[in-house]
Amino acid sequence: MSKDFEQQLRDALRPIDPEEGFEQRVMARIANEPTRSRRRITRWAASLALAASVGFAAILGAHQWREHREQQGLEARRQLLEALRVTGEKLDVAYQAVNREAPPADDESGA
Amino acid sequence: MKASEPAFAALVRRYQRTVYSIALRMLSDRHRAEDLAQEVFLQLYRSLDDIGSDAHLAFWLRKVTVNRAIDRIRQEARYDNEPLSEAAAVAEDVVDADPLLQRHLAELVAQLPPAARAVVVLRYQEDLDPVDIASTLDMPINTVKSHLKRSLTSLRARVVGAALVDDVQPSMSEPTR
Repeated sequence: MSKDFEQQLRDALRPIDPEEGFEQRVMARIANEPTRSRRRITRWAASLALAASVGFAAILGAHQWREHREQQGLEARRQLLEALRVTGEKLDVAYQAVNREAPPADDESGA
Repeated sequence: MKASEPAFAALVRRYQRTVYSIALRMLSDRHRAEDLAQEVFLQLYRSLDDIGSDAHLAFWLRKVTVNRAIDRIRQEARYDNEPLSEAAAVAEDVVDADPLLQRHLAELVAQLPPAARAVVVLRYQEDLDPVDIASTLDMPINTVKSHLKRSLTSLRARVVGAALVDDVQPSMSEPTR
């Protein structure tokens, strides 16, 4: 090898031109690209749609949460009334039992 | 930087050789290289607002081309079983004093791992110094030098054999071309 190895490498890696018409093919692909303004509008519309979707989801979520809380309140009220009813029944039973077992007032006096 | 379509076409004409050659050396396939080069220019068209100078443009084109090529190679996982026939066909474009040796060298470069191949291509095809290669590839300078040294040793050993290995040391200075 008479030439310097690195120079041989440079020669081996000399830049190569693309095939004829490369520039025209690139420009044809660019012509098929959406215009910048259209892309910006599309991006803007997509952002708006996304924001609207997020807002709608938040409102729907809040509404469902409120309904859920109302249902929880009604259920708690129903359970409280049931508990009071059961308690009242038990108290009635106890009251009647006490009344049945109580001795007459005359016997106690001994007169 | 803004460009009308005729001005952009002039940019394509000016840089098509650089972009296509890097893509070709990295991919060893003319069709894939052309496709990649077209995509790089499309990306440039969309990104012109971000580019402030000719130097930045050349840097940007090399960086995007190499990164896209490495991404493709990794996606396709082809670098370890690339058909030699295509690499050889690409190498046939070389016509100089020692065409057989240069063709063989080009084939061997095509067989280097992607990162090492990128370093060698930027060094010996694009004449970048190691600092610029490190910047282009987002790679530490010592890694660039290590890739260069190991790649040159490997290439030289495979081309000229062990007897001539001592003749060459990789230069880290400006290229002479």
